[in-house]
Amino acid sequence: MLSNVKEYFRPKTVEEAFEMMEADREHSIFLSGGTIVALMGSSRIERIIDLKSLRLDSVSIKEDEIVVGATTTVEAFRKDPLMRKEFGDFFYDSFSLVGSWQIRNMATIGGSIAPKLGWSDVSACLLATGAGLMVYGPDGYRRIMLSDYFALPAGEKPLITHIIIKKDGWVSAFEKFSKTTFDIATVNVAISVRPERGRIKAARVVCGSRPQYPMRFETIENALEELEINDVMPSIVRSLVFDNFTGGSNMLASFEYRKHLASVMAQKAAEKIKEMVR
Amino acid sequence: MKIDFKVNGRDYSLEVREDMRLLDFLREELKLTGTKEGCGEGECGACTVIIDGKAVNSCLVLVPEIDGREVITVEGLERDGRLHPLQESFIEKGAVQCGFCTPGMLMSAKALLDGNADPSDEEIMEAIEGNLCRCTGYYKIVQAIRDAAGKLRNGKA
Repeated sequence: MLSNVKEYFRPKTVEEAFEMMEADREHSIFLSGGTIVALMGSSRIERIIDLKSLRLDSVSIKEDEIVVGATTTVEAFRKDPLMRKEFGDFFYDSFSLVGSWQIRNMATIGGSIAPKLGWSDVSACLLATGAGLMVYGPDGYRRIMLSDYFALPAGEKPLITHIIIKKDGWVSAFEKFSKTTFDIATVNVAISVRPERGRIKAARVVCGSRPQYPMRFETIENALEELEINDVMPSIVRSLVFDNFTGGSNMLASFEYRKHLASVMAQKAAEKIKEMVR
Repeated sequence: MKIDFKVNGRDYSLEVREDMRLLDFLREELKLTGTKEGCGEGECGACTVIIDGKAVNSCLVLVPEIDGREVITVEGLERDGRLHPLQESFIEKGAVQCGFCTPGMLMSAKALLDGNADPSDEEIMEAIEGNLCRCTGYYKIVQAIRDAAGKLRNGKA
């Protein structure tokens, strides 16, 4: 539990929030949904900067992109009519596996990405949809790919203000393995494909909880190009993931167990995609 | 720091600790001990309260977060000494054994019924997915929530 908090800020603008953090990064923390902050056992944190006051909690459409405010809750996001219209059941079903109803009512999309948690189902799904981020840092606003955000140096911590998802007609599926319903993923897999005349024209294959942060596997994606979407396709996806999976071991699972699970989850996700495309 | 908020229909304007959990604040400062602490980490749902219409785990909320917002706890369910239909149905259907999970179950169920007057069993089960019960099992709890929904729809509240 936090025990040494002396100041609680409610910034009105993104710029103000970032300046507050920069003023004393060592002793400060951003609070978005609060599910991580409230559980922190730290006497180091003296300043909490509550981002909910920024009111970045809407989902809107801008030309061919969906723009999601970073403090939109996971539950509001998955049930948003715009998200359901543009992405069908993908986010609705996938994010139903994120914690409980109560947790999803609190946890935010931005707050699920920012700590670069290895097991984040939110990050895995967004990576598979090719999502981008609008972030604010020392040089102002800039747009980066979510995959690039994960690769930022440890000291570079811009504030995520929006998540941007293209409406590009890709078909996506997600599978997760966890030991109990609310447990974090032992492994999660998200796959998106762009189908064209019964074949995979392009693919994004993401494995998370490796246990490192979710990442795309370009070797697998390249191998899937032009593959026919038929009954054999899911087992090919499974073999490719098994042969190319990279990750490690931790208390949840060994590398070998993860690799096996990832390949099984990938096959299940590919089965879903096959059914959706047909 | 000073915050303004509403709990169970009553307005408060109080000095609070910046790092105190809402769960502790409700129990220790407002003496509303109906809200229980089970796991203390958002897993069991015993501490569920409703904030601005949403069911949340009060063990994961810091008190300053309720500034300007409305909180409902299990004590806010009864009106003028009369139990809420959910509470009545939990008793009538035998949905309570040790009772420790019951306040959280009731609050998740209320949040559901406030937004969905006629939920399916699947929707009921999703609403209480974050509330663990180790003795009653869930069958009678789902029955009780379905029964209460019927009472509310028929104006028996």
